[in-house]
Amino acid sequence: MIAYIIRRLLHTILVVFAISLIIFFSVRLTGDPVSVMFQAGEPTKEAIAEVRKNLGLDEPLYVQYGIFLKGLITFDFGESFRSGMPVMDLIKEKLGATLALAFGGMAVAIMIAFPVGIVSAVKRGTGVDFFGRIFSLIGISFPNFWLGIMLILIFAVNLKWLPSSGFESFKHLILPSITLGMILSGILARLVRSSMLEVMNQQYISTAKSKGISDFAVIIKHAFRNALLPTVTFLGLQFGALLGGTVIVEQIFSWPGIGRLIIDAINQRDYPVIQGGVIFLAVIMVAVNLVIDLSYTLIDPRIKIGGSRS
Amino acid sequence: MTSLQLEQSPQQISQQKPSFLKRIWRFIKKNPAGVAGMILVLLSISAALFSQWIAPFDPSKASLTSRLAPPSWADETGESVFFLGADQVGRDLFSRIIYGAKISLMVGFFGVLISLVIGTVLGLVAGYFGKWLDDFIMRVADIQLAFPFILFAIVIMSVLGTGIWKIIIILGLTYWVGFARLIRGEVISLKEQEYIHAAKAIGGTTFTIIRKHILPNVMSSILVLGTMYIAEFILLEASLTFLGLGVDPTIPSWGGMLADSRNYVTTAWWTATFPGIAIMLTVLGFNLLGDWLRDKFDPNMKL
Amino acid sequence: MKKKLSSLLALLVIFTLILSACSGGGKEKASTESGKGSEENPVKDRGNEIVIGVSGDPQNWDPIDTFLLDWSTVATSVFEGLVDRTIDLELQPGLAESWEYLDDKTLQFKLRQGVTFHNGEPFNAEAVKFTFDRLLGAEGQKGPQYSNYTSIESVEVVDEFTINMKLNTPDPVLLTKLAGYGAVIVPPKYVAEKGDEHFNNNPVGTGPFKMTGYKRDQEIVLEKNPEYWKEGLPKLDKVVYKVIPEASTRLAELQTGKIDIMKRVEVSQAETVKESGFLELQEVGTPTAFSLRFDVAKKPFDSKEVRQAINYAVDKEAIINEILGGYGKPISTFQSELSFGNNPDLEPYPYDPEKAKELLKKAGVKEGTAVDLFIPGNDGNFKEIAQAVSFYLEEVGIKVNINTADSTTLTSDLIPNAKAGHMYRQGWGGWTLDFDNTAYLMYYEGEQWNPSFKNEKVEELLNKQRASVDPEERKAIFKELTELLYDLAPELNLYSAVDLYAVNKRVQNFQPPHEDRMRLEEVMVK
Repeated sequence: MIAYIIRRLLHTILVVFAISLIIFFSVRLTGDPVSVMFQAGEPTKEAIAEVRKNLGLDEPLYVQYGIFLKGLITFDFGESFRSGMPVMDLIKEKLGATLALAFGGMAVAIMIAFPVGIVSAVKRGTGVDFFGRIFSLIGISFPNFWLGIMLILIFAVNLKWLPSSGFESFKHLILPSITLGMILSGILARLVRSSMLEVMNQQYISTAKSKGISDFAVIIKHAFRNALLPTVTFLGLQFGALLGGTVIVEQIFSWPGIGRLIIDAINQRDYPVIQGGVIFLAVIMVAVNLVIDLSYTLIDPRIKIGGSRS
Repeated sequence: MTSLQLEQSPQQISQQKPSFLKRIWRFIKKNPAGVAGMILVLLSISAALFSQWIAPFDPSKASLTSRLAPPSWADETGESVFFLGADQVGRDLFSRIIYGAKISLMVGFFGVLISLVIGTVLGLVAGYFGKWLDDFIMRVADIQLAFPFILFAIVIMSVLGTGIWKIIIILGLTYWVGFARLIRGEVISLKEQEYIHAAKAIGGTTFTIIRKHILPNVMSSILVLGTMYIAEFILLEASLTFLGLGVDPTIPSWGGMLADSRNYVTTAWWTATFPGIAIMLTVLGFNLLGDWLRDKFDPNMKL
Repeated sequence: MKKKLSSLLALLVIFTLILSACSGGGKEKASTESGKGSEENPVKDRGNEIVIGVSGDPQNWDPIDTFLLDWSTVATSVFEGLVDRTIDLELQPGLAESWEYLDDKTLQFKLRQGVTFHNGEPFNAEAVKFTFDRLLGAEGQKGPQYSNYTSIESVEVVDEFTINMKLNTPDPVLLTKLAGYGAVIVPPKYVAEKGDEHFNNNPVGTGPFKMTGYKRDQEIVLEKNPEYWKEGLPKLDKVVYKVIPEASTRLAELQTGKIDIMKRVEVSQAETVKESGFLELQEVGTPTAFSLRFDVAKKPFDSKEVRQAINYAVDKEAIINEILGGYGKPISTFQSELSFGNNPDLEPYPYDPEKAKELLKKAGVKEGTAVDLFIPGNDGNFKEIAQAVSFYLEEVGIKVNINTADSTTLTSDLIPNAKAGHMYRQGWGGWTLDFDNTAYLMYYEGEQWNPSFKNEKVEELLNKQRASVDPEERKAIFKELTELLYDLAPELNLYSAVDLYAVNKRVQNFQPPHEDRMRLEEVMVK
């Protein structure tokens, strides 16, 4: 077990190193940050060269990479070209909003997926099942930006129930969370349903049923508990993606999250922020993966270490 | 009982040998979601295949005089000749939606094909050979997942240029991970089955074992995931346009039409609404179909 | 089981209805035109305060570290320069009461007395000297502002309220440059004590409003500067800027009364604003010109006749009227009418497809010649324009392939490296409102955004006007230059942009700025 953990940690370091290498060189393929700093003013050739020099961009690439790597070891990603702020501070600033949205989205997904998944498993093949599944699929049948715009038009502009954007109060969290949660719930509901079905087909549920315990109690007691594990796994795996992959939802709802931080940095070619942001997310993602793998082996020792997980 | 049986015998015969139509009807009754999905998918496929005969107008013929003409049935002046109205540069929206089916399905099919091939090969290799190869491939997958999709798209586009095929390549190269993980998991559990051991024992080569015994067993999962990914890719193409990384605006892509007309929603609602409905129905169709396939193959599939 | 199918159908119908119901909102309003104005203003009790929805956060408030329009929108209320440029673009005394040239290279300023910074520090000659030492020193050289002010050699303190500015070369647009961006005056003690990073997030100036709150990517709070040197101003107690990048969300916030002023209204949203009873649409011309620039190194655009033919072939007026809804102005050279050096005698190339065909034929361009056009993929409105251009060029036998690229890749990689096809979108408007800025960047050999154009006469004229501080002489040079450029046609000039602002009717005296620099001291609420 210890050896396994050590091996995985070594892998993690390798992965982060590889990502740092790829991200460092690939962002430099896509243009340069200096000329977009001048929206007004006079970006003459000399002026651009001057700023490049002062940002250290005229150094040979391997030197720049060395500096970046050295900072990486101490979790110092350097300073943003745009704001002059340390990248780590920028990430910390956004962490609250990012986590709020990630958990909000997950909460909505669970609130939709569990009732739908459970009911459609119990009533498999009936109209309820059919209806529930369509409902959970509707959310993943729209591009998310469209869903967001529609929700704003309906609930903010026309009905005036909810605010349309910003990170201010619980009410502001509702629409973005629904947009995000709808996307997740489609997949999650399917997962819950099939986990439930799997368990319900097993012997002991039938035994329990035959003993005359009410249907509902049976479901709660056995099936639900067994459906929980794959759900947690799924949400865990999604968590990393949720932290950074919610750019569009953040953009529509003016949500100050890490996704927007990174996309703004990409748009401005703010190299330190791109590098820092991506590595930060990568570390979280790999760590979550590791924790899930480990907890699997702890919960269910039958699972071979490093074995299957689909 | 006997008399009753006699009385019902004609019906019983028809139950034993139901007519073709009856069988279809029964199939529909049993699988309403699957059938609905099939119909929606077939609709969009036929729109794509027969677009040049269905579309009443040239989908790329711009004309500023008919800019934002409303749908003919909602036009109070009665001047509009366009069934679903005209877009921002005066093209017939209906024709563009019909032709757009081609683009969306192309993105879906070919994108999935690329990721499916890469993902399946890597998943098979990782799962079957295990050890360091497995570790290596799975870590590459981690790297791919950690790399932001949008940045990946920008990088690929600045190296290869832009266009619909570049988008297909970007999607294909990003989403192989899903297939690889799925296939790897299945292969690992298949590997331990009796008949694989048996095949090995009688001297089957690795290639034949994979081809004859493993691949057929993972086919259903590939099919299900592929169907669902088609739906997802159609949506992703729209998101790329939203982020300014989409295809050239003369190409009638549903995603492009939807993203580029999102600000017209209150002034010329048809420009966004109809492409939106087209996307929704098609994506819903593929999702229903995928869902149904999954249920049919193996209701316990963790997808 | 029939029920299932019909319930599916019903569901789809319901969804379609929802879609059209909410999107049809605008239409309903349109049909009840008579009821216009009867809508209730959703802003009820905001007090003597306004909220402004802006599209971007400059991230950085230190004037020497930024050159973004988003900065100027807010910072114009916080900082002031020696010279002030009014909202009508007139230069007038700012923190300096007067100035005069002692000789060609010495400019003397008499400073305004009794002005204090928001932190109580006095404004005086020391502050001015500190500001320019900082701008021209190591800290300033890190940022994009420095290069703008290199004509200044040094600033010398004469007495507490007099300074001499030594120049190393005459600079015809220096006074304009002193009216904004890097040359705004910063408080020496505050910056020295708190450090650059603190100043960056907590700027202090002498302006009518002081910044009291800043949440990055969310909001900026300005409060009235009670010590402001202009008597009785500002009139508002508080201004809040909310950062809302997505235009449709910005409009939603405006419609629900969460903001009072919306910056960057899209042309496609103009109708919605106009139809509202409590909103007003305000338009203003900007210095930003838009063109499709030719890569003159590539065939067939190496020929002047072909470039002129393209200019004849496209109906710019129709594009402005139809696609831009009239919110754009025709241009004859690559500058707006606000620019010093604009030649009003030149008429834009008329729409004359016959003439275009003739010129193309003479130049030997074959029917069906294909050219690549590059545009940024994030500008929906310009995509429409590009398609209209493609339509017009098709009429004269040129096939246009439109390529959409990531906008930063386009400006920072494709254009400088001549990888942006035969034509590409070029938008520019120097903030100095002087053609010197634009023309130098666009037509001088070797400049960042000039991959291939070269003309000795053009460069000679550019050098000549730079050496002069006499407006009349420069005007004459620009006249010659614009005529030459008009004939050379290095681009297909389309229009100069008109910015749209949507304003809640409770806000009074708001005047939309020509170049994003909002002036709010006179603004009041009803």
